[in-house]
Amino acid sequence: MSTEFSNETLEKNSNNTGLQIVKESEEDRLMTLSVGPQHPGSGHFRFTVKVDGDYIVHCDPDPGYVHRGEEKMCEYRNFIQNIPHLERPVIHDSNNITYSYSLAVEELTNIQVPRRGQYIRAIASELNRQVYTLYWLAIYGIFLGHSTMFMWPTGDRELFIDLLEMLTGARVTHAFNIPGGVRNDMPVGFSEKCLRQISYFEKRLVEYENIFYNNPLMRQRTEGVGLLTKEDAIKLGVTGSVLRASNTPYDIRKAEPYDVYNEIDFKVQYMKSCDCFARAYVPFLDMKESCYIMRQLIDKIPQSGEVRAKLQPNPKGPAGEAYRRVESGRGALGYYIISDGTPKPYRVKISVGSFRNMLALPHLLVGAKLADMPAIYWALNYWPVEADR
Amino acid sequence: MLKDLINPTNFNVLVGKLGDVLVKALDQPLGYAINWGRIWSLWPVHLETACCSVEFGAASGPRYDVERFGIIEAFGSLRQCDLVVVQGTVTRKMAPRLRMVYDQMPDPKYVIAMGACAITGGLYIDSYNVLPGVDGIIPVDVYVPGCPPRPETLIQGTMLLQEKIKRSKIG
Repeated sequence: MSTEFSNETLEKNSNNTGLQIVKESEEDRLMTLSVGPQHPGSGHFRFTVKVDGDYIVHCDPDPGYVHRGEEKMCEYRNFIQNIPHLERPVIHDSNNITYSYSLAVEELTNIQVPRRGQYIRAIASELNRQVYTLYWLAIYGIFLGHSTMFMWPTGDRELFIDLLEMLTGARVTHAFNIPGGVRNDMPVGFSEKCLRQISYFEKRLVEYENIFYNNPLMRQRTEGVGLLTKEDAIKLGVTGSVLRASNTPYDIRKAEPYDVYNEIDFKVQYMKSCDCFARAYVPFLDMKESCYIMRQLIDKIPQSGEVRAKLQPNPKGPAGEAYRRVESGRGALGYYIISDGTPKPYRVKISVGSFRNMLALPHLLVGAKLADMPAIYWALNYWPVEADR
Repeated sequence: MLKDLINPTNFNVLVGKLGDVLVKALDQPLGYAINWGRIWSLWPVHLETACCSVEFGAASGPRYDVERFGIIEAFGSLRQCDLVVVQGTVTRKMAPRLRMVYDQMPDPKYVIAMGACAITGGLYIDSYNVLPGVDGIIPVDVYVPGCPPRPETLIQGTMLLQEKIKRSKIG
């Protein structure tokens, strides 16, 4: 006599008794979870994941919660009026997002920026990179459960915001880069205050490394998690720190130097380990390098001169097109502008780093554990408002 | 006289009047205590609608520290929250979610509209995908102007809301 309950014997028995046996199908085992937009760990973004036990088997991003039609709005306004609303997608990195716009408009209208203006632009851009990266680091810290790493960067960020407020007059929305240069000259005593702040911040960076990056808990949660190989990174088209963490030294400041960056000596920071730790550590290395760049910029800036070229009230150029990009906190940020010879652009296309990095999210999450989701998601250096535009 | 009052037809009226007297007697001390409790535990929903969330985050940093006013940020559950801070532009895709979040919260609940976009649509008034102000979908208690408002302005708006709760009647 056999005591085994194979499917065949069960089916035979059920035929006798008239009972039906329901086999567990693949779809019943999976559970669909919705993450966001009301969720402490997703920001202005929603994605659904299908989990099989602890492991994610499918991920479906759903962006577009902050789609405000920036590109269409550009067509109603002239080149100068466009600046304030174009910096809203990343208000904590607003000098970089208006930098590439100004470069593209200058190429269209053939404006030459004075040397001092170019240097002040670069200083403001590097300051804003620090502000952005510190905010990102604060968010990454709090979602890994490290409250100190929320408080310290948020506190140090305020000091950089003070500097930018002294330079531009606003906390986060500066509208400082305009086609033809910058809005105003540096105030008296700005360089000294800036240098003091950099020396203070370089000491703080050592403490950040000790408390956060050398923390065994943080290392366990990020090392070896979410591997993105060099081939995959290039195939998916990620940019910025995510690309550089995948063993690819590529930086727009080095590859296509704009304004004064070909006169500055700096190294492209990259890492070879391709995991979440590398993606978290490369922005930190960028902050260090940015301090080094800022010292050189303050040292080399021409002591006098114009900061902006004279413009006609409604600048317009011949019909044509221009594409310029800069290295922002999240990677390559480009503007493609088509002009038909009128003071208003015919079409503006914004190519942002966040959206490119988001495309790697399904690739990284499939196969990962659900508990690793926050570490993988925020290490992508993703800002949803910018991706939605 | 007493017989007239206690007769069954007047009994309900008498109980009602006694109830009114009781509420009036208790409203002052009890209402003050309940409102005092509500003021210092305003827990906001963690729903970010647009870019004002950067300044909302800065407000919880060490320099501004809104926890002094009983506001705990990044709070997980909707069922324990009693404040919605609408942080900026509300798009057509976000609007149903915002209303759904508001409906899921228990009473009493308060709304702060933060930033020019949440008040009128602001800079994005002529965009095809943006609501002209959130007061069309949820009732707003305090408007905090600015684009984006500074953290000090947000704190002032919160204190205004606390003043409003202090003067409101319970029940």
